[in-house]
Amino acid sequence: MREAFSNALVRLALADPKVLLLTGDHGYSLFDEFRRRCPDQYINAGIAEQNMVGMAAGLARVGFRPFVYGLAAFVPIRTVEQIKLDIAHDGLPVVLLGDGAGFVYSHLGTSHQSTEDIACTRAIPGLEVLSPADRFEMTASMDYAYATNGPVYLRMGKSDRGDVHAGPIDTLTSGRLLKVRAGRADRPGLIATGSMVRTAADVAAAHDLSVWSAPSLKPLSADDVVAAALAGSGLVTLEEHSVLGGLGAAVTEITSERQPVRVLRIGVPDRFSEHCGTHAYLLQEHGLDRIAVERRIDEFVTSL
Amino acid sequence: MTTLATGRANTGAHQRFAPARMRRTVLEMAYAGSTVHIGCAFSIIELMTVLYRGHLRYPGNNPRADGRDFLVLSKGHGVMAQYACMRELGWLNDSHVQGYFKDGSDLKGLSDSRVPGLEVTSGSLGHGFSVGVGIAMGLQLKGTDQKVYAIVGDGELNEGPIWEGALVAAHHRMDNLMLIVDKNGFQAMGTTDDVLALGDLSAKFASFGFETLEVDGHDEASVDAAIRQLWATGAGKPKALVARTVKGKGVPFMESDNRWHYTRLNAQTFAKAVEALGLEEY
Repeated sequence: MREAFSNALVRLALADPKVLLLTGDHGYSLFDEFRRRCPDQYINAGIAEQNMVGMAAGLARVGFRPFVYGLAAFVPIRTVEQIKLDIAHDGLPVVLLGDGAGFVYSHLGTSHQSTEDIACTRAIPGLEVLSPADRFEMTASMDYAYATNGPVYLRMGKSDRGDVHAGPIDTLTSGRLLKVRAGRADRPGLIATGSMVRTAADVAAAHDLSVWSAPSLKPLSADDVVAAALAGSGLVTLEEHSVLGGLGAAVTEITSERQPVRVLRIGVPDRFSEHCGTHAYLLQEHGLDRIAVERRIDEFVTSL
Repeated sequence: MTTLATGRANTGAHQRFAPARMRRTVLEMAYAGSTVHIGCAFSIIELMTVLYRGHLRYPGNNPRADGRDFLVLSKGHGVMAQYACMRELGWLNDSHVQGYFKDGSDLKGLSDSRVPGLEVTSGSLGHGFSVGVGIAMGLQLKGTDQKVYAIVGDGELNEGPIWEGALVAAHHRMDNLMLIVDKNGFQAMGTTDDVLALGDLSAKFASFGFETLEVDGHDEASVDAAIRQLWATGAGKPKALVARTVKGKGVPFMESDNRWHYTRLNAQTFAKAVEALGLEEY
């Protein structure tokens, strides 16, 4: 997925000299190609994320198209106020790229983990929130973010969990869910985002459940969520993010108004990580590994 | 925001940017709206005067013209001083002034970029300068001769992003950017010395790589000369003008009395303040 991201960024920058990449001294080899091919469009703004986001607003004000890259723990979390005030308030075309969202930096602990970024960004007026699940969604998300010409937060989670789509996605349409697989109508349907779409697809294949991916968390198509609710019995949401304020919250906001249905929110409980370890270990600690997810869905089915 | 920037017919009568009349405008707004932040508006009146009168370029008198210079009021609390300038320019009219702070007013208590003539939404301190650095970088990349001025308060220098932006401005040799520090010595709860001492600001900015001058911020001729000198010297460096000012300047009973950061005018203090300005005509 990181390669898809890098390729898309280089392609957009080559096509439009107004595209600038700003990084808070992060990225390492990820930007080798960008620096080689678009050296004048690369700005290392230093370890100073708040200023970097404000600068991006200034650059956008005079006609540039900044892509601001940081770890999700810093962009957006450390810079929420700059995003709100300097960028979103004026609808400026800045794309904020939060890498390593969720528990990607599993060994490093709380400072580098990010399970509250969706909640924080969803509440900022005018800011769209994207959360691609694989390289195909990433490519489509980058194209969508550029074409949107407004403020976008693009969340990048664990990139090595495999594709969930068979091939390229033609176009990402604002807010639409993407069908990953169709399953039984007498069972709950799964709506997942980011890294958890892979888990949802694996569980669903074993139990013949429907799965939708939500690459766009804001906006989120209410019609699509209602259709998913009507297609099965109950809904399950899956995300590598707090159960508060993320995909699960967005889905329940819609269903409670439009199509009341039981919703099981699988996400990070309201607590920080206790231990360190691999990404798989951290998912397990928070009940997001495949075994825990299957168990919770089983219990949910029984309770319906 | 269509009503603003059309303003009254601009007769030119108010284009002298007379500090006393601008202070009168601030008092009118503060009284009409029953609002605060008079002291920190008064401290930047002469700085604003000099900038609008002789430096800032607005092609066609259009606050959003392509090719304009940018005045970024990072210390958004002083926005009434900028409103006063906008009234001089005819970008605001008498009804805007009288309607200030009232229901439905477009003019907020802190700087808001949706108002033509204001470039940033600030008041949450430490934001505007970074945006100004980004604008300056963009203009530098485009190779235009437009300039960016960013006015920050000395209290605002408590905020970290200002120093982040200063590093970036110096590193990228932004010689189209001028930081102006309104050094009135006060912040909300006391003096800057008591709350968080700033040390030698000129030396600090010089050490960052800025071309720096210090000046009496109420002496229009000195401010004007300092700005010209800064642009003329220090090629490849951003500029910093440290302006020594007096909070509440122009109305003796407000000068250096920090209560006028948060005190509202009543009929008596309004009349007394207006009288102190000594305006024969308005």
